[in-house]
Amino acid sequence: MDTSYSLPSSALPHAHRAHTRSQPPSLNNTWRMTVSSDSLPSQLEDDEDGDHHHDHDHDHGRSHSHLRSKGYSHSPPPLSPSFLHAHSYSIDETAHNHDPNHNHTHSHDNGHDHDHEHNHKHDKHFHSQLHSHDHSHDHSHDHDHHHDHDHSHGVGISNGHNHASERSLFTRTILPYTVGWPILYSILAEKDSRRIFYFMTLNFGFMIIQAFYGYVTDSLGLLSDSIHMFFDCVALLVGLLAAVMSKWPKSQRFPYGFGKVETLSGFANGILLMLLSVEIAFEAFERLWEGTETKRLGELFVVSSLGLAVNLVGMMAFGHHHHGHDHGHSHGHSHGHSHGEKHDDGCDSHSGHSHGHDHGHGHGHDHENENMRGIYLHVLADTLGSVSVIVSTVLTSFWGWSGWDPLASCFIATLIFLSAQPLVFSAAKRLLLTVPEGVEYNLRNILAGIGQQRGVVGYSTPKFWMDDHGGEKLLGIVHVTVARGAALEDTKDRVREYLLKEGIDAVIQVERDGDNGCWCTRGRALANPPQMSKQF
Amino acid sequence: MGSEADSTQGGSQAAAAPNPFNFQTQVISTTPVKSNVGQRRGHRYKHSSVSAQHQIFQEPPPRPPPVLPASLPTPTLKEAWKSLQRDQRMRLYWGLCHVAIAMFIFYRSGGSLAAMALSHLVFFDAGSAAVCVVVDVLGNFEVWRRSSIRHPFGLERAEILAGFAMSIFLLFGGFDLLSHNLKHILESVGDHEAHHEHEHAHDHVSSNSLDLVSAAAIASTLVSAYGLKNHARIAKVMRVSYLATLPSILSNPFHFFTLFFSALIALLPLLSISLYDWLDRLICAVISLAMFSLGMRVAVAQGLMLLMSYGGNRGDVGVTAVLREIESESGIARIDGAQFWQVHYGLCMANLKVIITNGYDELALGKLRNRISTLIQNRLGEGYGNGGNVRWEVTLETTVDATI
Repeated sequence: MDTSYSLPSSALPHAHRAHTRSQPPSLNNTWRMTVSSDSLPSQLEDDEDGDHHHDHDHDHGRSHSHLRSKGYSHSPPPLSPSFLHAHSYSIDETAHNHDPNHNHTHSHDNGHDHDHEHNHKHDKHFHSQLHSHDHSHDHSHDHDHHHDHDHSHGVGISNGHNHASERSLFTRTILPYTVGWPILYSILAEKDSRRIFYFMTLNFGFMIIQAFYGYVTDSLGLLSDSIHMFFDCVALLVGLLAAVMSKWPKSQRFPYGFGKVETLSGFANGILLMLLSVEIAFEAFERLWEGTETKRLGELFVVSSLGLAVNLVGMMAFGHHHHGHDHGHSHGHSHGHSHGEKHDDGCDSHSGHSHGHDHGHGHGHDHENENMRGIYLHVLADTLGSVSVIVSTVLTSFWGWSGWDPLASCFIATLIFLSAQPLVFSAAKRLLLTVPEGVEYNLRNILAGIGQQRGVVGYSTPKFWMDDHGGEKLLGIVHVTVARGAALEDTKDRVREYLLKEGIDAVIQVERDGDNGCWCTRGRALANPPQMSKQF
Repeated sequence: MGSEADSTQGGSQAAAAPNPFNFQTQVISTTPVKSNVGQRRGHRYKHSSVSAQHQIFQEPPPRPPPVLPASLPTPTLKEAWKSLQRDQRMRLYWGLCHVAIAMFIFYRSGGSLAAMALSHLVFFDAGSAAVCVVVDVLGNFEVWRRSSIRHPFGLERAEILAGFAMSIFLLFGGFDLLSHNLKHILESVGDHEAHHEHEHAHDHVSSNSLDLVSAAAIASTLVSAYGLKNHARIAKVMRVSYLATLPSILSNPFHFFTLFFSALIALLPLLSISLYDWLDRLICAVISLAMFSLGMRVAVAQGLMLLMSYGGNRGDVGVTAVLREIESESGIARIDGAQFWQVHYGLCMANLKVIITNGYDELALGKLRNRISTLIQNRLGEGYGNGGNVRWEVTLETTVDATI
């Protein structure tokens, strides 16, 4: 927690607090209610310096939804001078912007500036990137808090924005009609699922048209492309399902909620892409072997350019996400550079950007949406496919060598495979319940701190994993051995409080020292013999 | 640098007076000399007397050694290779063989759609055989089973993940075959040239290579089933009820499908050419549908585990029954929260928070804990008959109810 004293993290919450105060009191009440119903921890943490971020962020989220419900739209609140050069486009950002005399906030502005052209998820990474850059690795805690901040920040924006400017006229018109169908309404209400839904509809419509024309004109190319389109639709449907399911509440069947559904879907999509690329390469080799000449070039050209058009729309719809994620990700290296070039206006902060990969582990645990990333990659793969077909058709019609198409396919297949790889790995890590490096470092200290609590002799089988629902939280179990003479109940409460303070919601089993009834003692006896209990 | 300064100084001296000796103090250093006057130097050594007096360096509080290692080394390929035991090496070779057989079938399938579909199935078998081998080999290492802070449950969950990836392969394969089939039908309906080509191919294939293909498929499936216990763990999670009555490995849906379809394909060349063409497509379609439905089930079964849910023995119903039973224990006021979930094939977790009535002494508490964990293990751990060994790790957090 030492890092919570560092400048940026202590400066930000104040700004937030001020912001919170400006909200109507009723709003605060609603928020309190959620917190108390949600879990005790956050309330306790309220007194903790570092955790302020998190709470206040939630405030933000709420406040914007509040704005939304009031039908608040474009009236930009007073802007600070340093901020004017960034676009004055929405309430949320301005509301978010704290005191401009702070340099961190300033770079934040830059982020926003930049972000306006892309997306909001983006600026979250910006934010984090900048921060992470300023702090060394040891400060991962601080860093984390920023993450929390950023995360909800993004949420806040998306909420507010949806209603202020981003929710299109179309959505606004059809939304009232969908109230009758709760599923459809829930799809349309969320930004991610709405995007997927629209694109899926587009894809599906295009597929129908293509299949119809293909049937009428007896064209094999069109028909087989519509089959391909159908598969895309299925993949999108899975993604849509995951996006909707991820909002489902916890239940007895799913005690930790559905936070992992999106990761799972991202993983599936990544694997699918890998398989696809292998298949494409296989077929390409086969064609190269047999030397089948490509027939009906004109038709192929038209079909693939239409497909390209549709996929480009998809790229535009999902592209923002990807960029944002790439930044947060450990391989954001090259992207960072390209951004620096694109957005010269915010250069001073962007230039440091390319270092982002160093900190990859620091925010690998950030709640990046693997689902959207998977879908984006899928659409990207399709786009590349269309491009390769177009290019190879053109080349073939000029030179008449039939090898262009397989060559292009091979190239594209490699690209797809390589782009799917990081997604698969990061999703796999999440699904394996791996604790990311930065968190692991803290966790070790926290665990050592359990032994410091009064009455605790030792602990065993600590198993902790990341909570999907909020930046840095951990869930898990630990068995605590209590010294003779200390009350079990009190010791448990102490340990529980300590862990909650550190952001861990654990199930704690207390055992009396010398009571070897539990399964955990067996594991301990095998793993590392008595040294533990001798210490005390 | 030092020598240079030396020589220049020596030169200036020589100019003043011819003195062979140099009595001036000289600073010999490789860096430019800074004066230290008025500058504080920090205390570098914590054992110096100054440090000891002023407590500038504070000892960290004494801490017990950590219970868990932060992370255990993940074996590299070379280490994995070295760790192989004899029978493991044999299994590895067989896994490679299985993959090779799958390739062989794929290339020999030529024009027959059914044989190509079969090759997809065999590919899947080979893939999960490879997963079996890798799991077996990784079991040699500590990082696989032992939990560390990095991997709270070891790496064993990776097997589920691999299985999930395989199920994606099944789904993908099913789709792919369907689309191939569709394309073929479209081609044969629309384009006559292609049709002819295919007839030709069929004649080519149907001589005796199909027999060879199906024989290879059957043999490899049997060897994998007995030698590697291929699909054994997945099948236990899935439990396809309508196949459960079949003897030994046929009750495993994966083996069943492979064996059944390869037997079918072996019979195919016996039929007349005209019938053959359509039957070929039909079998391909059936295989792809089977792959699809099977893949769906596998994906759901493993997706549940990856989503941290318990879908095993009667799933939710079983959990509810157990919870009701726990609640009825004397001394338990209510259950505050219960999380039942499956970590991997061999491990489940039950994390319970119960409120107990006041005046429960510690001995009774320990007994209660034991009772609850044996109850959960007996009810939900599939102990008997199946040879299943799902372990339940129960954690019970008790809180004394203050209101009573």
